[in-house]
Amino acid sequence: MSDLQNLQSDSLAAIQAAANLDALEETRVKFLGKKGLISAEMQKLGKMSPDERKEYGAAVNVVKEAFQSALHSRKQTLEEQALEDQLSLETQDMTLPADAYQLGKVHPVSYTIMEVGDILARLGFSHATGPEIETDFYNFTALNIPENHPARQDHDTFYLKPDASGERKVLRTQTSNVQIHTMEKFEPPMRVMSIGRVFRKDSDVTHTPQFHQVEGLAIEKGLAFAHLRGVLQKFLNDFFEKDVTMRMRPHYFPFTEPSAEVDIECLFCKGDGCRICKQSGWLEVLGSGMVHRNVLTHCQVDHTEWQGFAFGCGIERLAMLKYGINDLRLFYESQAAFLKHFGKSVSQV
Amino acid sequence: MKISLSWLKDYLDTDLSVDELVALLIQLGHELDAVETEGASFAHVVVGSVQERVQHPDADRLGVCQVDVGEGNLRTIVCGAPNARAGIKVAVALPGAVLPGDFAIKKSKVRGVASDGMLCSVKELGFGDDHDGIWEMDTDAAVGTPLAQAINLDDVILDVAVTPNRGDCLSVYGLARDLAAAGAGTLKVLLDIAAGEGAPTTSFETRSDNVKGFSGTSLTGVQNGESPDWLKRRIEQAGLRPRSLVVDVTNYVMLTVGQPLHAYDADKLKGTVYAAEAQGGEGFSGIGERELTLCSGDVTICDDTGIIGLGGILGGEGTAVSATTQNIFLEAAFFERSRIAQTGQAHQLITDARYRFERGVDPEMVAYANQMAADLIVQYGGGVRSETVVSGTFDVEREVITYNSDLCRTFGGLDVSKEEQTNILQKLGFGIDDKGDVLSLAPPSWRTYMENPEDIVEEILRVKGYENVPTELPSTPLFKLPQSEAAPLLTYDRQARRALAGLGYLETITYSFINRTHAELFADDADALQDLDNPLDADMMATMRPSLLPGLLVASARNIARSEPISKLAEVGTVFTAEGEKLEAAGVCVCDDQRHWKGSASAPDAYTAKAGALALLESFGLNIASLQVKTPAGPQFHPGRSGSLVLGKQVLARFGELHPNVAKQFDLKGRASAFVVDLQVVSKQKIKNRPFETSAYQAVERDLAFLLDEDVVAQQVVRTVQNATKPLAKAVEVFDIYVGKGVPEGKKSLALSVTLQAQDRTLEEKDIVEVMDAAVMAVQKHYGGELRS
Repeated sequence: MSDLQNLQSDSLAAIQAAANLDALEETRVKFLGKKGLISAEMQKLGKMSPDERKEYGAAVNVVKEAFQSALHSRKQTLEEQALEDQLSLETQDMTLPADAYQLGKVHPVSYTIMEVGDILARLGFSHATGPEIETDFYNFTALNIPENHPARQDHDTFYLKPDASGERKVLRTQTSNVQIHTMEKFEPPMRVMSIGRVFRKDSDVTHTPQFHQVEGLAIEKGLAFAHLRGVLQKFLNDFFEKDVTMRMRPHYFPFTEPSAEVDIECLFCKGDGCRICKQSGWLEVLGSGMVHRNVLTHCQVDHTEWQGFAFGCGIERLAMLKYGINDLRLFYESQAAFLKHFGKSVSQV
Repeated sequence: MKISLSWLKDYLDTDLSVDELVALLIQLGHELDAVETEGASFAHVVVGSVQERVQHPDADRLGVCQVDVGEGNLRTIVCGAPNARAGIKVAVALPGAVLPGDFAIKKSKVRGVASDGMLCSVKELGFGDDHDGIWEMDTDAAVGTPLAQAINLDDVILDVAVTPNRGDCLSVYGLARDLAAAGAGTLKVLLDIAAGEGAPTTSFETRSDNVKGFSGTSLTGVQNGESPDWLKRRIEQAGLRPRSLVVDVTNYVMLTVGQPLHAYDADKLKGTVYAAEAQGGEGFSGIGERELTLCSGDVTICDDTGIIGLGGILGGEGTAVSATTQNIFLEAAFFERSRIAQTGQAHQLITDARYRFERGVDPEMVAYANQMAADLIVQYGGGVRSETVVSGTFDVEREVITYNSDLCRTFGGLDVSKEEQTNILQKLGFGIDDKGDVLSLAPPSWRTYMENPEDIVEEILRVKGYENVPTELPSTPLFKLPQSEAAPLLTYDRQARRALAGLGYLETITYSFINRTHAELFADDADALQDLDNPLDADMMATMRPSLLPGLLVASARNIARSEPISKLAEVGTVFTAEGEKLEAAGVCVCDDQRHWKGSASAPDAYTAKAGALALLESFGLNIASLQVKTPAGPQFHPGRSGSLVLGKQVLARFGELHPNVAKQFDLKGRASAFVVDLQVVSKQKIKNRPFETSAYQAVERDLAFLLDEDVVAQQVVRTVQNATKPLAKAVEVFDIYVGKGVPEGKKSLALSVTLQAQDRTLEEKDIVEVMDAAVMAVQKHYGGELRS
């Protein structure tokens, strides 16, 4: 019996000693091959008496099974090791740059326009548009800004060279021209917004010769200044995604009466005063008011029957405040770094 | 307009703090551009006394001073001023002080000697230009006293932004009046001024409808020297420079009660002074060497020699007062608002007088202002003044407003009782006639733009405070604006921006006005280009863009120059063409020169641009299989590498490599390709639902390669194969183009892969052979295309 025990321990030791799959296969052949050592013991059984055979056979089987089981597990170990060895050879520098990809971006003015448009749409305003090259009438006169009105000076208007008929058109200085076109085309009640490009001949740190405005106009029965306040508060809350502290103060616009400028509590210092709000604690964001009766009359809307409000603000201003863009001029410089930094990918807009 | 708190309090008796006054001003509609405490820039600047000065050991021109600033110990301060010496009192800026011009004072070492502050010159403190030495203070203030306190510089300056409708508030008195009406305190009564003696020695009259009333006072024997300190101070507080007594007084009176005045050297006047309209074409020399050619209707002040002033705007050089002037004619008049605006605009003259007259001055204040100025001049300059006499009238007719007090609630949204409203209006100076159901309101003489009941609502609301108006949301409207022609376009505008970003383009926004030459290059009709009459930049911002491409190309070139090339740059916006304003989307592709460790991508070319155009069109839901390519795209593009994408007769898009001559104009050295999509045309296309067909049977793919003449274009061969293999062909794609070895000169090899599939059965070999043969036959028939083995 001790021969079989030796065989078992030798065979198991040989398995453990096999350093790789080839050596393991050799070991298998050595013990279990046709001429293998365990196979040889099995072959002896044929020449034994049934009793001897039964007893010896069982003993040999134990050796064989122990060998096979050890062989199997050693094989698994070696296979795993071999794979690990191979994978370690395949290692690459994962800190190298990824494949080049182009993440397109939407300009901050564009996505701000989308945000503003969506908010106003939820408040019941429909889109309206008008031309960017406009007549003096629609840009000024119909908005109750007659010639020689001091308000015209604030507008720094761009004029086109006179056309064939001698008319000197203007680049609209405000989107309010759309108010007039819309009121001429449609009957009240109406709630419309116009968002678009406007032009003023002014260029410095805080002015660019073109910028964008959003304007809202509501003409309905019974609309009062209180409703203007309500709509503006909701609009500002929705845009800045928080409860904004709003302040309305009297101002002068020829096309509204009463008129109000609208400030919000400085988003950066929460009203304590900082460089951005010029220490005032407030940021001016909007102009607004009740539509002036002269404007309604110009558009053949009966001011004794219909009341309305209008408001407008600069898109760039809103974008700067919400997204922390600190230089207006960046919007129009097409600088790659700016477009990538402040642009939004299509899944964000 | 800058005024000081102490000045305001000359006319307003109030207990309110500065902060409360500021809040009330804002509530009333007078925004503040700034609220500054005078002397705020002199924090850490104190009065000191120089105790000792010794020569700096290592610098001839520097002295080392021991200065007492009231701390017990003396401070060592290095100073280069020649007049620094023991015994003088000086202004000492201690470390921590920040002097005008952001000049921060720190502890420092000057040539090896520690210096613990700075002795200041007048210029360093921002008082003047004197920089010859340090300021030797003539003061009784103890050492250590803050400088601001020592020189009584502790007033608060309010910089008020007065809106164009509030000309009445362009004065200290006017603001005091508005504040008092809103409950800030009591408006002080304007002092009575003793009448002068005798009639003015200068005769004058108005001969113009634009000058309803004209007041004059003569002064004789005046010494026009420096103004008293208090007056200079006020003038400086207003942001002006003191000049001489007479000039300072006229400015002071204007700033105080709002009425502009003009002082003439009476000895330089000839005959009668009168106001009259210009004929047009006359020359006029204004103060400050301003030479004008007058327009017809400009209001002028004349004497027998001609024009001596542009009324209400600018005085004349020839009759201006000087240091030696002794006899003065003081004029204050009431000019027609719109006339002043027109003249001011025509001559591009912005003066304090014009600013006030065109916003409206109080006619009832004109004569008082004249007297007030005359009185001050005599008080400080000596001499004698005449009575103030008026030619014409200051009675101005005002329209009465009929006001129903309910309007405050129905229009303003704030419920205020009739009694309270009446009370507010009374305080604001309105004449009130209560007719029971309505109020008949006469606006005060100083108010302009008071025409309608809504103006009255604003008065009530601003005195009550806009913040007290409730915040209400209007009910959801049950109406929607009928679809305007613009509505679909707006949808495309938005979709295009998103689609382009999805395609890897960076969206930019360029200016709507561009360089004229650039515009001509891209205009279909150069005659239709529209130029600005008053461009901001006559070179680069002169002409309305007829295409988005010039702006994009300039932007691309600029980024390349900055070594930050954008490989795909796009814009969506309005262009200005012969057909009017149009919405366009465009993209520019340039090589971004980015090297990648895995190898660089191929440079963009016409096909990159074509992909941009097609993908954008497909993103809108258009069936791009129905589009045809027509070549070339236009003179801006490479004649052999560009095309238009057309549907019937409509051009939806153009794409291609830019013409090298065009690229050169934009300093684009490498090749650039671009595309333009006409969103106006696209928005008019019907997007149809196309049926979706799928088959349960196996699809078969077969390849064909033809030897064709080089000028046969792929689109034609593909269409031919598609037509010949209908209805089994599901797709016909070009997968290879080959020219070179094995292909005869003038020929090319075009390889197509054809995918065949039937709806109702598995295709058998004979079906396949049949249609493929038909395809080969058709290509051979039309293009002589020989099948390559």
